[in-house]
Amino acid sequence: MINILLAGVGGQGTVLAAKVLAQTAQDKGWSVRTAETIGMAQRGGNVVSHVRMGNEGESVLSPLIAHKSADLIIAFEPGEAARVLPYLSPGGTIISATSALQPVTAALSKQPYVAGDVIRGIERTLDQGGAQFIAVDDAALCAEAGSRKVLNTILLAYALACTDAGLTLDDLREAIRTCVKPRFVGMNLEAIDIVQAVCAGR
Amino acid sequence: MTKQLLMGNQAFAHAALEAGVRVVAGYPGTPSSELVETVAQLHASGSAEGVHVEWSTNEKAALELAAGAAYCGARVLFTCKQVGLNVASDALMSLNYVGVKGGTVLFVADDPGPISSQTEQDTRRFASFAKVPVLDPATPEQGFAMMQAAFDLSERYHTPVIVRPTTRICHASTFFEVADTAQARKVPDEGFVPDPKWIIFPRRAYVGHGEIIQRLGEISRDFASDSVLAQFNVMFEGGAAADTDVAADAPADAAAPADAATHADAAAPAPQLGIVAGGISAAYAQDAIAELARRAKAANMDLPAFRFWQVGTPYPFPEELATEFATGLKRILVFEELDSVLEDEMLRHAGKTHASYEVLGKYTHDTRDSGENDLDDTILRLAHYLGVDALVDCQCMSKDQEDLMSLVPVRPPVLCAGCPHRGSFYAIKRALGKTPAVLCGDIGCYTLGNAAPLEAIDTCLCMGAGITMAQGFAVAEPDKKQVAFVGDSTFFASGLPGVANAVYNGHDITICVLDNSTTAMTGSQPHPGTGVTLMGSKREPISIEAVLRALGVTCIHHADPLDIDESVAAAQKAIEFAGPAAIIFKSPCIQIIKPGVPADIDTETCTGCKKCITEIGCPGIGFDASARGAKSKDRGQAFVDPTLCNGCNLCTQVCPFDAIVPGMPLESKEVAR
Repeated sequence: MINILLAGVGGQGTVLAAKVLAQTAQDKGWSVRTAETIGMAQRGGNVVSHVRMGNEGESVLSPLIAHKSADLIIAFEPGEAARVLPYLSPGGTIISATSALQPVTAALSKQPYVAGDVIRGIERTLDQGGAQFIAVDDAALCAEAGSRKVLNTILLAYALACTDAGLTLDDLREAIRTCVKPRFVGMNLEAIDIVQAVCAGR
Repeated sequence: MTKQLLMGNQAFAHAALEAGVRVVAGYPGTPSSELVETVAQLHASGSAEGVHVEWSTNEKAALELAAGAAYCGARVLFTCKQVGLNVASDALMSLNYVGVKGGTVLFVADDPGPISSQTEQDTRRFASFAKVPVLDPATPEQGFAMMQAAFDLSERYHTPVIVRPTTRICHASTFFEVADTAQARKVPDEGFVPDPKWIIFPRRAYVGHGEIIQRLGEISRDFASDSVLAQFNVMFEGGAAADTDVAADAPADAAAPADAATHADAAAPAPQLGIVAGGISAAYAQDAIAELARRAKAANMDLPAFRFWQVGTPYPFPEELATEFATGLKRILVFEELDSVLEDEMLRHAGKTHASYEVLGKYTHDTRDSGENDLDDTILRLAHYLGVDALVDCQCMSKDQEDLMSLVPVRPPVLCAGCPHRGSFYAIKRALGKTPAVLCGDIGCYTLGNAAPLEAIDTCLCMGAGITMAQGFAVAEPDKKQVAFVGDSTFFASGLPGVANAVYNGHDITICVLDNSTTAMTGSQPHPGTGVTLMGSKREPISIEAVLRALGVTCIHHADPLDIDESVAAAQKAIEFAGPAAIIFKSPCIQIIKPGVPADIDTETCTGCKKCITEIGCPGIGFDASARGAKSKDRGQAFVDPTLCNGCNLCTQVCPFDAIVPGMPLESKEVAR
């Protein structure tokens, strides 16, 4: 079983990312289940998508991942990475974009929301165990790709390139061709190439 | 046939179409809306032939329309969320007495949590109140099979049938094999055959009541023995000497045959512990059993012998299966969300059969009595019940994790950047100033107007209640101003009787119609005020102003909510008017228009006063405490997030220092459909 959790803010593209991941699993012949946050919570609130893959032929019933059992967490925003940390399995990997989205609550509050503090807090929390944290400079990568619209693909590519989830960048390319509207396929494939080049030099 | 990744609701649409459904009608509501949208898409693409699909004005209209078509023999599907059934309940209660001819399925989506709803009501309970059979899926696959079985069951007994998934089923996705095309079943040649039975009268109701009782007994037996229906009640044993791995892998999906119950062989001890589960809780329980079995194996332990039963047909309760399940059991733990429906049934069954088993569940605080269940909680409670607490880790947070959470801001849902509702609320607050007033909200995105800093909503009850509740406040507190907010879709769904009441009884209220040309909260569905229909043809939009005038409202003002001065002036006039008055705030939802050019902060002139944030609270504006400028000194500065800002320019009108460089809204406010 491979459990992948995607966390972000409504509107950031977690739903499509979950769909692309599900397609990669389907292409492998695995059973797969996803669950999304849809409705009122989507309006700028924190959203989570769960993706569960039966990579060893097992059936998957519950669409939701239990705490301490996500093999991979892909966070679209550092605060949201911190929020879903309890889901990370002891040997899992969490990758997170480093650009913060300031909620109105933070702008109104006396305590500012400082993304750097949160990222250091995640590092501190994971320091003792066997879990891995990867911070992704999403601003630079999106700038190189020419659009923030490909944030979800950049994070997916980064996650697959840096972890051993049994899924490759070629699997991702294939799934993108199936799931993404034809006119956006090109820019998403270019984004994967950019990440591949960066990760090769890592 | 093609294999596609489908959300539960999309799959249920395919299931209904494959069953030959001819008429599909509903009113949007999370988590139910995608079903009707999928039927509409398949109709538009030509792959669903002969089907009529519509968003009706409200749930009552949808169910009554469906009933008419069903009297002719058409297969019909009605959809709504759980509270939507309250609106349609008048029709449903009588419809069951009258009976139906064509298969009549009510797809009613419950929302444990609740995640996007007003209540945690349980449609299984509504089904037993209305005496209508209900099917309760544990997975999207099972829901797919139930949807098809429901049409046959409905026609066999001439009864409406409810299929009740919950949010986690509706919005879970998996791959489905679906037909490429579907053809609606023809209405029988004889069509509607007039008969006294179609007319509900006291005498007819008395006879109908007897018929209902008779058929419920038969349906209860079908749920235990009919080859299609009984497969929704999965029973198996595991633990101790039984092969737990096999048992735990018993699928809850439609592929599980009724007799798949993997009874332990004769050598295994008979189980004394029972587990009953319904809906998504059955999926959690089965995954939890598998997880505990895995951990037990790793620890070289055995789980005690147990028997599991998923009740997929909660009403009428399959008594025969309950007897089979309960035989030899000493204790039974029930996992279900919302009401204690299965727990009640097991307690009742114990009484009826003078059985001595103990029932654990919500009443005994052995399971959650409100909110959603989940895998973590189910594993924990099941481990305790099975006496294997040692297999469960501590779920407590480390000190580092607690410290980390203190740095993370709460992120509740908010009105979108550029949402025109923000301007409407701001104008009303400005127009009222310190005048005492009660602001009655309603159901829709605009409920979010309650949040700081707008704090422009004092009440929210149910669809259409804002307009009518304001009249109650006006009667009880005549010295205060009463303002009611209603969205355009809600206005047509249930606002009109309230407006008529205000005019008829002469109540002094101000009705603010927030007209954003769509049903925004549920995902941008059209409504009578847009003229757009799901069948493709476009009607003349019904004019909100014309409706208000026809109902006798004489004081009607118009304003663009993104123009603060114009909106405040309109609000002042309407609020001052003695008697029912209305303001129509018209500006399209940002989800249906293309974004304009974002605004920007002039770092030379921004003083860091935060007024743009504390006045309107737009998520497109943040505050950077480390930014420095000539006027802001060390106070920090506001900044615009260009990925969110759509150039609505509300903030530029709020800034006292002209420090926000205006963006550019799209010139044409044409709805980009």
